[in-house]
Amino acid sequence: METTFAQTWLQFQSHGGFPLLTLLCALPTLFALVALMVPGEHGAVHKAISLGGSLLTLLVGVLVYQQFNLSSQTMQLADDFAWIPGIGARWTLAIDGLSLPLVLLTVCLTPIVFIGAWSAIDKRWKEFAIAMLILETGMLGSLLAVDMLVFYVFWEIMLIPMYLIIGIWGGRDRIYATVKFFLYTMFGSLLMLVAILYLYGKAGGSFSLLRLTQLHLSTPEQSWLFAAFALAFLIKVPVFPFHTWLPDAHTEAPTPGSVVLAGVMLKLGTYGLLRFAIPLFPAAMGKFSPLLLILAVIGIVFGALMAYMQTDVKRLVAYSSVSHLGFVMLGIVIFNEEALQGALLQGLNHGISTGALFLLVGFVYERRHTREISEFGGIAKRMPVYAAFFVFITMSSIALPLTNGFVGEFLIFGGSFKEGVHAAFVPPGGGMPWRTLVLGGTAVATLGIVLGAVYMLSMVRRVFFGPITKPENEGLADLTFRERALMSAFAVFVIWIGVMPGPFLKMSEATVHAMVAPSRPAILQVRAPIDYQRELKQAEAQAAR
Amino acid sequence: MSAFTLTRVDAALLCCAAPLLSFLILGLTPALRRTGRIAGYVSIAFAGLSTLYAASLLQGRMFAAASPPDIGQVGWLYAGGKLVASMGVQVDGISASMLVVVTVVALCVQVFSLGYLHDEPPAALGRYYTWHSLFLFSMLGLVVAPNALQLFLCWELVGLASYLLIGFYFKKPSAGQAAVKAFWVTKFADIGLGAGLLVLYVFTGTFDWSPQAVQLLGATGAAWTAGLFFLAVMGKSAQFPLHIWLPDAMEGPTPVSALLHAATMVAAGVYLIVRTYPIFQAAPGVLVFMTFLGAWTALFASIIACSQNDIKKVLAYSTAAQLGYMVSALGAGELWPGYFHLVTHAAFKALLFLGAGALIHAVHSNNLQDMGGLWPKLKISGTAFIIGAMALAGVPGFAGFFSKDAILDVLLERHLFAPWIALLAAAGLTAFYMTRVVMLALFGKPGHHTEHAHESPPSMLAPLVLLAIAALTLGFAGTSLATAAGHEYAFHLSTSGLIASSLALLGIGVGWLAYGKNAFVPGKIPAFAFVQGIVESSAVDRSFAWSYRVVFQGVSGGVAWFDRYIIDGFMNFSAWLTQMAGERLRAAQTGRVVDYLYAVVAGLLLLAAAGFWR
Repeated sequence: METTFAQTWLQFQSHGGFPLLTLLCALPTLFALVALMVPGEHGAVHKAISLGGSLLTLLVGVLVYQQFNLSSQTMQLADDFAWIPGIGARWTLAIDGLSLPLVLLTVCLTPIVFIGAWSAIDKRWKEFAIAMLILETGMLGSLLAVDMLVFYVFWEIMLIPMYLIIGIWGGRDRIYATVKFFLYTMFGSLLMLVAILYLYGKAGGSFSLLRLTQLHLSTPEQSWLFAAFALAFLIKVPVFPFHTWLPDAHTEAPTPGSVVLAGVMLKLGTYGLLRFAIPLFPAAMGKFSPLLLILAVIGIVFGALMAYMQTDVKRLVAYSSVSHLGFVMLGIVIFNEEALQGALLQGLNHGISTGALFLLVGFVYERRHTREISEFGGIAKRMPVYAAFFVFITMSSIALPLTNGFVGEFLIFGGSFKEGVHAAFVPPGGGMPWRTLVLGGTAVATLGIVLGAVYMLSMVRRVFFGPITKPENEGLADLTFRERALMSAFAVFVIWIGVMPGPFLKMSEATVHAMVAPSRPAILQVRAPIDYQRELKQAEAQAAR
Repeated sequence: MSAFTLTRVDAALLCCAAPLLSFLILGLTPALRRTGRIAGYVSIAFAGLSTLYAASLLQGRMFAAASPPDIGQVGWLYAGGKLVASMGVQVDGISASMLVVVTVVALCVQVFSLGYLHDEPPAALGRYYTWHSLFLFSMLGLVVAPNALQLFLCWELVGLASYLLIGFYFKKPSAGQAAVKAFWVTKFADIGLGAGLLVLYVFTGTFDWSPQAVQLLGATGAAWTAGLFFLAVMGKSAQFPLHIWLPDAMEGPTPVSALLHAATMVAAGVYLIVRTYPIFQAAPGVLVFMTFLGAWTALFASIIACSQNDIKKVLAYSTAAQLGYMVSALGAGELWPGYFHLVTHAAFKALLFLGAGALIHAVHSNNLQDMGGLWPKLKISGTAFIIGAMALAGVPGFAGFFSKDAILDVLLERHLFAPWIALLAAAGLTAFYMTRVVMLALFGKPGHHTEHAHESPPSMLAPLVLLAIAALTLGFAGTSLATAAGHEYAFHLSTSGLIASSLALLGIGVGWLAYGKNAFVPGKIPAFAFVQGIVESSAVDRSFAWSYRVVFQGVSGGVAWFDRYIIDGFMNFSAWLTQMAGERLRAAQTGRVVDYLYAVVAGLLLLAAAGFWR
């Protein structure tokens, strides 16, 4: 039976009005151009330009949210112009529930990063401002593009500013770290470029994502192309075993770099899987599901064990990212509505809690110029407010109920349990291995929750509690007003999402529904044929009713 | 009827909201919090308000025992447009009586703390009351939870609050370690609850424990859910071998021990069973396991309690033992005896801990050997402590006697002889070790600090008196409590009751003989020395420590090595290989035209040869 699964959720209608998304995307770069014209010695001017630019972008982002129709099941607010007519490339930007949360996260985090950089960046503010603003354009562009070429351009644009941010403002081993980061990411994206060009040829000269999803590809073709796409995204996430660039990059990057890297850039990997790799090659996704599931679960446990072994707080947080992104990956691989909603929310949550943790680590680094756990101990006595914020964000990171982390993880686990166990027991036979794998994987993944509590709390205990052993820590000053204000912003979101997750889940609800509808059967057909038949029957029964 | 009437749902919401409000007020206004005592008054006022609401609810339910539970809930979590979970309150006889237990104990503890912690700096005291308010809110939210998900959320919050309170003396390294240990052990066990919830959800599409849900679960689902839930119960209610965190948790201030680790937080585990009992009843295998594990915990912990010299550790182990009684009784398939014991135990154990607090406060030491001869100086708190001890020992007429009797009776009725015997033995041991504590602390040779001891201030005595009255009378309230909860219970003197009380009296006699005149120390009796030897080797604790140190850290170390040398090593190696290849191949780029020409000719020749050969 030949079934076509049309990816209708990727359709869009050019609205022909004011190109709001293009403005959103270009605004940071415009400000970067302004900054370029001001001489470097005026540090304060550059701070004003960068903060002003990012706040204005935030404003436009809020406008976009206002214009956004939460119940629409297609792409919205599309800007669609001819771009390079000679090769059939179009400038197409559009937004839906998949990108909206991350767009909002990006526009919110950038001003925060600039405020956080106020004292963390102590040289070359001009260059820093330009790099960070261009980076913002790159991230927003990657999130909004629905044309493969536009996406690829923005995807590569992101790389250069981050390369510079780590390489110029980074720590002691910054050159090693930044080259490693660059090579890893570049390696992945070049293979993706090859795949994009192959698709371009197949489609007869179009980069339109919607067009490309309509191609008929043979199974081996799908597999190879999926592998090329997925590799680029898996490196970005990063999924075990492609993660080793991350601890180095995070540790050496300056605080603002780490915040953006963890907050948004890692999520572009998971976003890319959902936006491009899965809708383009659902059957291949079905085929690779077991492998991806195993890698995700290994990542959860592996990242947690690695985090436990670290002696540097920032490295610990970096490895915790590997573990947390493993949960997000788990939700994506499972690919049902609960798990996907959880994965999207958890991506947002990770941006909030890990971003906040990196800022917190940065605060104490500015004071003590070390991040070694053994250099601290008992500093809660000298920095009570700092300790309170740190413990609070830790609770979010280990997914305590009524913090943001809980809702996301809970939905992911709910979705994967559902995939693994079925209330209506199906006859034994096909589909069983997949379900067993999911159940086993989920069981192992729950271990990651406990391990999360283990490594975070033992770090918190060693840093904050007990007696003060180092005389250098006696004179530590507590957080300033600026730092408290920053942390309060994070704290508000931690509680808000944790207590009232509704509005945040609502952002992606319609899109997730529309996205699952065509892709899930296509995936299931390959990875668990019996489940596919059953879900098909259920759907028919429901339609008949 | 007045114009302003509250439904029971409203009252339950207000009952929970009061401590939340107190927490928010104290948490968000540092100026108020740092006053210390005033912060305490705020917290106590809201806890008092909460108590009033709880009392009115219980009264209301007593007169409406037959009516269905009052439930109010709102949707909370939606995924894919479908309702996943709601939040709200469920008021019935069980939750209403538990609300009273929790609020009364919390109120007593908060008042008691005013005197007990008066030497603490104001900022620390303010922090203390902030956490108390958080704790109370979480516990009340747990008690009224209408579904298992809300119960779980509050369960975790309770764990957090207890982590914060155990670590109250955070400058003491041991307190920090104890706090983290408690959090880890319970968090590990909580996986069970989380996973059990998900099983429940997958099978039934809800988090309810209604009969329909149980039907949807079927035997397999019920067994999984109940089994996983019970793992969490073992952690929270300190059942063997997950009891290890409880003695360490005594690092917190003594009133905290009274609240969290005797009367309420550890009770949450048993309460979970009580709440989700329909699911447990559908899982007979789990019930049998519970009966035996509970009885074993009771016996095991009672033996350990006999040899402890720290007054709080004796009480801690006795808590584990009493929770074992409850678990065992619930495992026997009858709800009421276990729940009844939960209520009475909360009263007399809070009394015992607060009484111990008064003794500790007087001599500034937890050690029984530093006490001794305190009775003449501490008549009121001493009397209260003795009442608590008698209630715990199960002396006829005291609260513990009634509930313990009901438990033993149901075990005998179901022919569960082994647990029955274990619990009888534990009853005798309980009487023995409590007599030992009373003798060593209050009578006998005066200790080092006895001379300077003085009676506690009224703020500490009032809660003691109130709880002592409860410990004396609660046993007689059994019938009306049972009626409110929709159960039938009337006291009758049973065989088990007779045997248990004789054993209790025997235990007291032996204790009195042994310690009345400091005549001998049980370590010298061979049989005792053997048991003590096993216990003091703390094998369980050490095996956990070993598995943590060797297995966990070993695995982590191995993983770290693998990451550094294999994965990263491979990447660095390929980078190095590229670089080396580049450097070697550079030699070919000589820049001399003649060399290139040679290469071209060689290439041509090769191609020609290849063509020819083909």
